[in-house]
Amino acid sequence: MNFRQFAFKNVFRNKRLYAGYFFSCAFSVMIFFVYSMLAFHPELSFQGQGNYGKGAQTGMDVAQYIIYVFTFFFILYSMSVFLKSRKKEFGICIMQGMSDMQLRRLVFLENIIIGLTATVSGIAIGLLLSKGMLMLGSSVLSLEKSLSFYMPVKAIWLSFAAFTLLFLFISLFTATILRSSSLIDLLKGTAKPKPEPKASRVLAILAAVLLIIGYAIAFVVRGVLVLFALLPVAIIVSVGTYFLFTQLSVYIINKLKNKKKLYRSSTNMITLSDLAYRMKDNARMFFLVAIISTVAFTAIGTLVGMKSMFTNMISSSTPPLKYESYADNKQAAEHAALIEQALAKRNISFELLVIKEKNVTDTGTNKDFIFIKASDYNRIMKEDVALGQDEARLFYRKDIDMGYDRGISKGQETSLTLEGGRKLAVTENGEMPAPLLQSAGGSSVAVVSDEVFQELPGSKHDSTMYVYDVADWQQTLAVSKQLMTELKGNGEHYRFSSRAYELNDINQGFGQILLTGLFIGAVFFVAAGSFLYFRLYADLDNDRIQYRAISKLGLTEGELSKIVSTQIGLLFFVPIIVAVIHGAVALNTLQNTFSTNLVLESSLVLGAFLVIQIIYFVFIRANYVKKLKDVM
Amino acid sequence: MLEVRNVSKVYEGKVAYQALSNLNLTVQKGEFVGVMGPSGSGKTTLLNVVSTIDKPSSGEVFIGGQQTHKLSKRQLALFRRRELGFVFQDFNLLQTLTVKENIIFPLTLENVSIKEQDERVNRIADKLGITHILNKRTYEISGGQCQRTAIARAIIHDPKLILADEPTGNLDSKSAKDVLETLQRLNKEEEATMMMVTHDAQAASYCDRVIFIKDGSLYREIHRSNGREVFFQEIMNVLSVIGGTEDEFSAVRV
Repeated sequence: MNFRQFAFKNVFRNKRLYAGYFFSCAFSVMIFFVYSMLAFHPELSFQGQGNYGKGAQTGMDVAQYIIYVFTFFFILYSMSVFLKSRKKEFGICIMQGMSDMQLRRLVFLENIIIGLTATVSGIAIGLLLSKGMLMLGSSVLSLEKSLSFYMPVKAIWLSFAAFTLLFLFISLFTATILRSSSLIDLLKGTAKPKPEPKASRVLAILAAVLLIIGYAIAFVVRGVLVLFALLPVAIIVSVGTYFLFTQLSVYIINKLKNKKKLYRSSTNMITLSDLAYRMKDNARMFFLVAIISTVAFTAIGTLVGMKSMFTNMISSSTPPLKYESYADNKQAAEHAALIEQALAKRNISFELLVIKEKNVTDTGTNKDFIFIKASDYNRIMKEDVALGQDEARLFYRKDIDMGYDRGISKGQETSLTLEGGRKLAVTENGEMPAPLLQSAGGSSVAVVSDEVFQELPGSKHDSTMYVYDVADWQQTLAVSKQLMTELKGNGEHYRFSSRAYELNDINQGFGQILLTGLFIGAVFFVAAGSFLYFRLYADLDNDRIQYRAISKLGLTEGELSKIVSTQIGLLFFVPIIVAVIHGAVALNTLQNTFSTNLVLESSLVLGAFLVIQIIYFVFIRANYVKKLKDVM
Repeated sequence: MLEVRNVSKVYEGKVAYQALSNLNLTVQKGEFVGVMGPSGSGKTTLLNVVSTIDKPSSGEVFIGGQQTHKLSKRQLALFRRRELGFVFQDFNLLQTLTVKENIIFPLTLENVSIKEQDERVNRIADKLGITHILNKRTYEISGGQCQRTAIARAIIHDPKLILADEPTGNLDSKSAKDVLETLQRLNKEEEATMMMVTHDAQAASYCDRVIFIKDGSLYREIHRSNGREVFFQEIMNVLSVIGGTEDEFSAVRV
């Protein structure tokens, strides 16, 4: 057996020990690979697609870097925990006369073996799952046709090269950290007594105060102020969260311990006193997990919210198909015919409304109004309104104004003064209903009788709207695309728009960003879960000894499982619940800013992550309890 | 109090190994019995079987009239924490708890009232001389103090039987003497029934009766009649014979 064989055997005959490390490496590779496979998909070129294309492409690239950097730290951390759990083994090797150089070579070789196999298997698993991933990706992106499977040569090479480099670097890196400890420390391993966890009362109270202040500010601020409050609140809450985990949690546990009735009954004593140690040990990690998750929640919630906001805006303001013809447009008839032909060709039934608009300024207030005929109004609204010679009805568009009700959007006019001094009494002053907004557009519309309309002076801002109402507007995407190219979109004298087309545009762009966000969120989540798992795994040997002793004293399996479940459950959910609360507060503030309702979207996002976490918890808990019971 | 009837224990495996064969043993209430024997004689197996951690391959074990291996896993756990007390070589104290919390641990599992917990722990700590360290952590006290804490934990719930596995194995001679005297005093004053496995003759000499096991079956038993020194000498005599085989001696002579 030469040295290389020793290293190989060490890995392959010790599968269980290496499995945790191996799987987290392979998983990281898989995520990176699947992600790059999507990013490099030939049918998913964002350069020429829609207005969001370029931004989406950049976002995708940046996300890839983030995933890579995060993966790097994650693997580094996994590795250091893994090496820590093997201290004793290294001690034995050194005692047998292994030189420092040889030990480093051993660790280096092992890591290269694990790294290479993890890279290869990660890519392989990714390939196996890729069809599903592509389908999922297509549905998240709401692409018209689902992405086909392809041989992602570029992604394979990129993942392979990137991770080989990463493992090489990490192997070199860790091999040098190893030597610092002395032999006796290595042999004793982790079995050193730890002092009792203590918490400062002042800092514990500070944590609570900081969190309350941060939340209070977040609840109070409105509108533009949110932007100014963002950074200070983020800092206050971050510091508060840090002390929440390092001080307040231990402080609360210690307080609970003083409640004799609670502390000294059934398994609470051992649960609580162990928990204090675990909290203190893992506080920094909890802090990171909580903050990272909060950022992920908030970002994804914001994206989802913005998407639904834009979608609502477009659905309510854009009719299925609309052709706007401005003054001096000589092609109006020709274009209208083209549109009708295209629709007829595809057997899409439609209802055409032609609406004439005149743009006139109210000389009293200097405000511009779009004037339409009462007969047009009646056709749009399917009403039967008759207006007198000097009457007008005004409609204002509801403003999206970042949470500020500036009070100017709603009209107060009681009369309009036209050029030449003619006065019109305003009989109604209200919010613009959706059909009117879709057909007429603009921010303020005045409806006057047909006769008055005829007498209004014309200007070069006047226009004619060809509104095509299609009941089944979802079917018009293809025809809209075709028309968009034939009409060359927006000309100098006309503008063509389509609801299906614009929604598609938004879906493509946001779907892309969302997918990226979800991916990064998933990576963070998996990483957070794995952090916890590694911590648990590192403690497993000590726990085994402890629980074996207790079980001899007469602890039933049910009680054991209760203790372990409570502890792991708290470790798993405390950071996530903190993150969910932080995220909910943040989204609440954002909701005030956008003046849109984000409740449904954000609870979907937060709920999804919570469900993932619960699944993860159930899996790890069962595994851990099983491992503990094995020795009993 | 304890009755072991025809107990055999075979460890299955590639090579089956008989650790105990047809062993019979009775311990009366209030008796302090030592179990001795060379390495591999089956002492620890016997202790494991008696302490319900291990099941015998055949035969029966009765503790206070209860046939232990008929109980379910959960019932066994409950039985151990109500009827048995354990003292281990490596103490098995919980590092995250204080001395006092360690002692009352079995009571908390049974949800005994706080008042009674405190009364019991104070009485026992007083008896064992560990009152001043009750609020210390386990890494702040000496080995002897650790073992006395473990003894306190073993007797706090008034068990029917106290089982000790090499209780002095990790202690210096002064601490070992302390611990053994503590056990002896508990036996005399509280009439606690005890069974102690050891291979230290000094430790065994504190018992009322010592049972010798060799190759899984009973080899001899001797009772203490006179002083401890005389009993120690008698134990040493048995040990000097039990340690070797007759063949060894003959080989040297020829």
